[in-house]
Amino acid sequence: MASLRAGLRSLPTYLVVAPFAIVLAFPFYWMLMTMFKEDSDLYDVTHVPYVFNPIQWRFWESATTKHVSFIFEETNYPTWLLNTAIVGGLVVLITLVISAPAGYALARLSGRWGQGVGIAIFLVYLVPPTLLFLPLSRLVTELHLKDTLWSLILVYPSFTIPFSTWLLMGFFKTIPQELEDAALIDGCSRLKALRKIVFPVSLPGLLTVVIFTFTLCVNEFIYAFTFVSSSEVRTVSAGVPNDLIRGDVFFWQSLMAATLIPAIPLALLYNAFLDRFIKGFTGGAFR
Amino acid sequence: MPDAGDELVRPDGQLTRRDVLRRGTAGAFAITMFGGLAERAFPFYGPLRYQHKQLSGELKIMQWTHFVPDYDKWLDGTYVKQWGEKNDVEVKVDHINLALLPSAAASEVASGGGHDLFQFLFPPSALEKQVIPLNDIVQEVTKKLGKMTDVAQKSSYNPKTKKYYGFADNYVPDPIHYRKSMWFNAGVFPSSWDAIRRAAPALKNAGHPVGLGMTGELDSNMLLMSLLYCYGASLQDEESRVAINSKATVEALKVMRDIYRRGMTDEVFAWTAASNNDAFLAGRLSLALNAISIRRTAEDRGLALADDTWIAPIPRGPVRRLGNEHVMGIYFIWKFAKNKAAAKRFLVDQQLGYRQHFLQSKFYNFPAWTNSVKGGFKTIRRVTNQDRHKPLGQYNILASIAEKNTTNVGYPGYANAAIGEIWSTYLVPQMFAQVAQDKMTPQEAAKAADRQFKQIFKKWRDQGLMP
Repeated sequence: MASLRAGLRSLPTYLVVAPFAIVLAFPFYWMLMTMFKEDSDLYDVTHVPYVFNPIQWRFWESATTKHVSFIFEETNYPTWLLNTAIVGGLVVLITLVISAPAGYALARLSGRWGQGVGIAIFLVYLVPPTLLFLPLSRLVTELHLKDTLWSLILVYPSFTIPFSTWLLMGFFKTIPQELEDAALIDGCSRLKALRKIVFPVSLPGLLTVVIFTFTLCVNEFIYAFTFVSSSEVRTVSAGVPNDLIRGDVFFWQSLMAATLIPAIPLALLYNAFLDRFIKGFTGGAFR
Repeated sequence: MPDAGDELVRPDGQLTRRDVLRRGTAGAFAITMFGGLAERAFPFYGPLRYQHKQLSGELKIMQWTHFVPDYDKWLDGTYVKQWGEKNDVEVKVDHINLALLPSAAASEVASGGGHDLFQFLFPPSALEKQVIPLNDIVQEVTKKLGKMTDVAQKSSYNPKTKKYYGFADNYVPDPIHYRKSMWFNAGVFPSSWDAIRRAAPALKNAGHPVGLGMTGELDSNMLLMSLLYCYGASLQDEESRVAINSKATVEALKVMRDIYRRGMTDEVFAWTAASNNDAFLAGRLSLALNAISIRRTAEDRGLALADDTWIAPIPRGPVRRLGNEHVMGIYFIWKFAKNKAAAKRFLVDQQLGYRQHFLQSKFYNFPAWTNSVKGGFKTIRRVTNQDRHKPLGQYNILASIAEKNTTNVGYPGYANAAIGEIWSTYLVPQMFAQVAQDKMTPQEAAKAADRQFKQIFKKWRDQGLMP
């Protein structure tokens, strides 16, 4: 009886959440279905688009894996995935190394002046890549980095560091100053206090930076497309639209597969650290 | 002081740490020295990298991702490899989506580096100051193959500067695709724009509207400029003077508005270049204007409607039956290109043996010099006639369209820089869409376009790129 009452109490919550969940999950369902569809199924408007046609219990007999095989066997897709992971991983590392101390310094050591600098750094993030790609391509060429992954590893921190610094600045402000003071009184240096006290407490914020930075790297298109022109050096975001849209012909099923596959680990990562992720984002919101 | 006899000897043959270090150092030294020299030594002590050394270095090419995947596979894997071996050049071809070509070119200009050869799918007239003239190789090919086609010449030559700013490589005929059974039921054949206007209501009522785009994308641009020509209108005259504000333009605008009202849906204002392909392949459209990618895709994917999909020349207007090429493959060589000699040789050789390109592209790429397929249009007709897809002989019409019904963007003048800007800013589809949506009368739209065009023409005249 008690559990029924508890269930009834949470019913309104589910009624509110369920439509959102369905709407947000629907594109993924659509991608999943489409990537296994036969051409004759996909291009027939009389077919029900949400299932495999002809409709039958043994639904897998109406589906095909050939479009998924195509991206692994006929394109450089596995290389694009690897390149994306390399670029994402290194950019995350660079971003953490630079933005964590910068965010801490702005939060702790600079007083009111730090607030202004923090906002200025965030404004840098708002300059769109569509304006920056032309001057940056000059820089990349001068450094002989064109057509290499290093061009992306160099340029991506230009937009991940400002946002991450701003985010971490807000987060560090939520950590009581007394914690650090106690560590300093106990004989810790500033650096040791940072390493032993501040960073462990800031794990949600740092984790947010990791996920956010990696996602930005996976999604980024303009720099990835402009600075890299060889198919085998591309990342997923530039490789997929270049090799799976041929002229005015879209390879729909392969496109869906190619975009869904990298979305799955990212979604799992988000889900695994959801609570910390929310904490990280809202860390400095109420101070 | 220990002597040699004191050194530890292992009877089982095991190595000491010192042995490992000593041998490792010697090995590393040998690999570093002789391994490093091997690459340099190879040309002297082994065979030449390629037998018929003529050129040298690297050649980097940027071009679109062809809609026929096998064409790119053949080009990258067979053609350029063979050409590279023959000329001792390391050739690398990068492919990008056609819509991204202009931004990739802009980035290369900004950075002052990139590919040696760059291919556009419309005349790159606005880039004339950034590229080298190619008159010499045009002349060389013309000597061997005879006159180049008009469409190619007017898409790559600037009569004001007397320069070939680009090397026309191929052009693509732009037929209509129509569903034969649907038009048969409507009792009309889509041979004229007036016939389409008459049949449109019946087709739309049957659930199969006409699909003619009016938005900022390639297909709409080509189609609507072609419609203007068929009604006797044009963007400019032969002397490169703005000519859009005419009675003929008003008539063309009216006919398109009628076709839209009677036989189309408002999707056509939000289309991309792929939309007419997708809508046609899904069986929804009764007619679309596109290169043969629609038919070829239907064949390749084994769709049932392939047998019912016919192609025909652009519909006739009251004045003529003439349409733009669908895409115009033009290569250019940047001033900053590192291997200009190899780039030029590549273009000449490619054009001289274009037959294979024509076949590998499944009759998509027509050569800029018709005689590069030995026997010209006569041979092209014979070859296209051998295509085994049903309905048999369908592709035969392509040669006729390429020969008689295809012209350049900017007809009757040259595809100059002003025309290039009008093309790339999609002002013509905008003009048609304004009228179809009743936001302007045809007369107002023609006048508004006239004002815009004159500003653009003035800008490029001031830069000295137009007569």
